[in-house]
Amino acid sequence: MSDSYVIVGDGIAGASAAETLREEAPDAEITVITEEGESLYNRILIKEFAKGKLPEAPISIHDESWYDDHDVDLRLNTLVVDVDVENDAIRTHEGETIEYDSLLLAIGGTPQQLPVGNADAEGIHHFWTFQDARKIKESVEDADRGVIVGAGLLGIDFAAICGAQDVEAKYLMRGDSWWRYALSNEGAEIMHEAMRERGVEPVFDSGVDHFEVDDDGHVVAAVDPNGERYECDFAGVAIGLDFNTEILEDTPIETDDGVIVDEYMRTNVDNVFAAGDITEFHDTVLGERAQNGAWGSAKEQGTIAAHNMIDHGSEPFKWVSSYSITHFDFPFLSFGHPTLGDDSVEATTDEGEWRRVALKDGRVVGGVLIGDLSPQSAFKQLMREKRDVSGQKELLMEPGFAVDDLAASTEH
Amino acid sequence: MRLRRTGRVPSDARVRHYDELDERTQAVVPELADRPRTALESADLEDGDVVKFTDCSLIRTR
Repeated sequence: MSDSYVIVGDGIAGASAAETLREEAPDAEITVITEEGESLYNRILIKEFAKGKLPEAPISIHDESWYDDHDVDLRLNTLVVDVDVENDAIRTHEGETIEYDSLLLAIGGTPQQLPVGNADAEGIHHFWTFQDARKIKESVEDADRGVIVGAGLLGIDFAAICGAQDVEAKYLMRGDSWWRYALSNEGAEIMHEAMRERGVEPVFDSGVDHFEVDDDGHVVAAVDPNGERYECDFAGVAIGLDFNTEILEDTPIETDDGVIVDEYMRTNVDNVFAAGDITEFHDTVLGERAQNGAWGSAKEQGTIAAHNMIDHGSEPFKWVSSYSITHFDFPFLSFGHPTLGDDSVEATTDEGEWRRVALKDGRVVGGVLIGDLSPQSAFKQLMREKRDVSGQKELLMEPGFAVDDLAASTEH
Repeated sequence: MRLRRTGRVPSDARVRHYDELDERTQAVVPELADRPRTALESADLEDGDVVKFTDCSLIRTR
């Protein structure tokens, strides 16, 4: 009898696992279950669709025929309501029981709603799925004034969407700069200026106390904690994700914010694995538990999980992730864990070019590059090799920095 | 391989975001964008692909 693999989630983590399982276990039964109504699409391109820069078709990655061609049983619009690890089975909202030999949870997260009045009004959007992107595009095309909340990597997508769709917007931030946990004011100001050039005005030491709505329940304004009122007919909220662990509450599968896995993507239950942004994984590069939602990381985790579902212990997850912002006429890239560390070094290396590297115990653990991405490979290599750069961190700020520069310096 | 900026993305194009590319290709794309330069072909990109970096660029390998 062939092995049966059940994958919950058809994002890039679940889909890459399905591809790997099919390649390596040609006779296996593979079932992919997703609560969404469409199969794998490119989640990091849906912002371009919402901006009006891309048509819908290229965003699809697997059409439904892909699953037929690869003998994968795809269940769309199907919610998993129970995981029964004692009987190696999951149950769906329709009451169906599906048994497995090995289970992969690639169940992702759900955008958090602001805990303020009228946060669920018409015209207030969260951004996670392709269906969200379609609604955002439709809404923003009819809008004149927008408000954006959430001063991080997802919030800035809303700023870019408003800019591209000629919506005058206020970007309400609680602190004094965008992504203040990873950037100093100097680096953030490059991003602020790019927003302003697109008609999006950052508002600092602000946020949302409540939204105002009209008689039809549509948002008309955001009022910040200082009492300032910002009229809007579109609002984008991106304050983080709640990870979808609720179906695991009555199981022995260990969770915290997400699902806890080892470097082989295995949970504390031997035949249950997890991949993608749901995981809290043992990061072999960082040397501690970490979480990461970047596309490349999720894809690799799906692949690694599949290898280990077939042969546990065969391949650990070792990855330095990166995430870029490509909305402006200069590039932005964060890598590793730029918000961690006990030390950092930063510099403006040229006009419009800025970099910051985060260090922990003398080693590079992450960073941010604005304008000039050329040192990214060198910095990732330093992370993978866990090189101690104590006493040499200023070299990391040199234009044209290469790892060999550091080695040469060490020899002196 | 070279990049040519394109304003319109055809519906039948394969579009890749910069974050999908392998590390070597990620290092090359910023060097080619908006510059009349060429680089060795990447296994990650094919002729006719569109890459979303700071602009959308068409990949040409011929």
